[in-house]
Amino acid sequence: MWITLLVAHGLAAFMLLGAVTHQAIGVWLPARTKSATFLNRLRAVPPASYVNAIVVLFLTTAILGGIIYTNYRIGARLTLERGRFWKTFGAFELKEHIVTIGLAILPAYWYFWRAPLREEYARTRAMLTTVLGFVVWWGFLVGHLANNVRGLGT
Amino acid sequence: MRPSPSYAVFTVTFAAVFSVVYVFAVEYNWALFSYAPATGAFAPLTTPTAAGPTMYWYGWIATAAIAAAVVAAVASFLPESLAKRVWPGLSWAVPVAVLIAFGYLLRGYFLR
Repeated sequence: MWITLLVAHGLAAFMLLGAVTHQAIGVWLPARTKSATFLNRLRAVPPASYVNAIVVLFLTTAILGGIIYTNYRIGARLTLERGRFWKTFGAFELKEHIVTIGLAILPAYWYFWRAPLREEYARTRAMLTTVLGFVVWWGFLVGHLANNVRGLGT
Repeated sequence: MRPSPSYAVFTVTFAAVFSVVYVFAVEYNWALFSYAPATGAFAPLTTPTAAGPTMYWYGWIATAAIAAAVVAAVASFLPESLAKRVWPGLSWAVPVAVLIAFGYLLRGYFLR
């Protein structure tokens, strides 16, 4: 069961990573021309269209991670301690807090991205997306790193 | 429909207060409840478990979420003249400051 949950957590995180990265690119580097290049199409995505998906995926990923965390606490965490993988250990400790802060900003993120998008909140939207993007990237990379230390299903 | 300013104040206050309360909850262990992953048992506040490690993370989140929800609910009833003065940037600036604080608090793991 734990492996199934871990894989589901990883897949949800992967989709979330794609969604929030697309949104951040659309916010900070919007397309200025109508060129049909790959990069231009990437930049031309409407950022607001990702909001609901990001909220649902963030909650799904966090809930799955919160369940798996109980198993990590009595298994993989001890491996990290015994192996003295302190940087990975610390990065994972930080992940727990960073993801929690992501949960804290989620209502504001959802609210400021609601239609109609008011121009006066443009910077707030951009910054909330950026912070959420950092949270998701940190969580994804550190989760992957910690998993690699112990190994899936070992 | 144009959203009411009180929702803006609620979400901004929630993000800021949650972040600040959470960092204090972690630092001073203000957990609303604790959990024993080895036995699956919950206990109130910071009760140590009979077997295996004790987890406080869920309890810290509960403490911060309840405190933030109460403060944000009160703040959302601010008069409109005051509500307009609440800087929406607090919704990301305070959490970013708290993230930096966590980096500082946990720096020991990266300096070994």
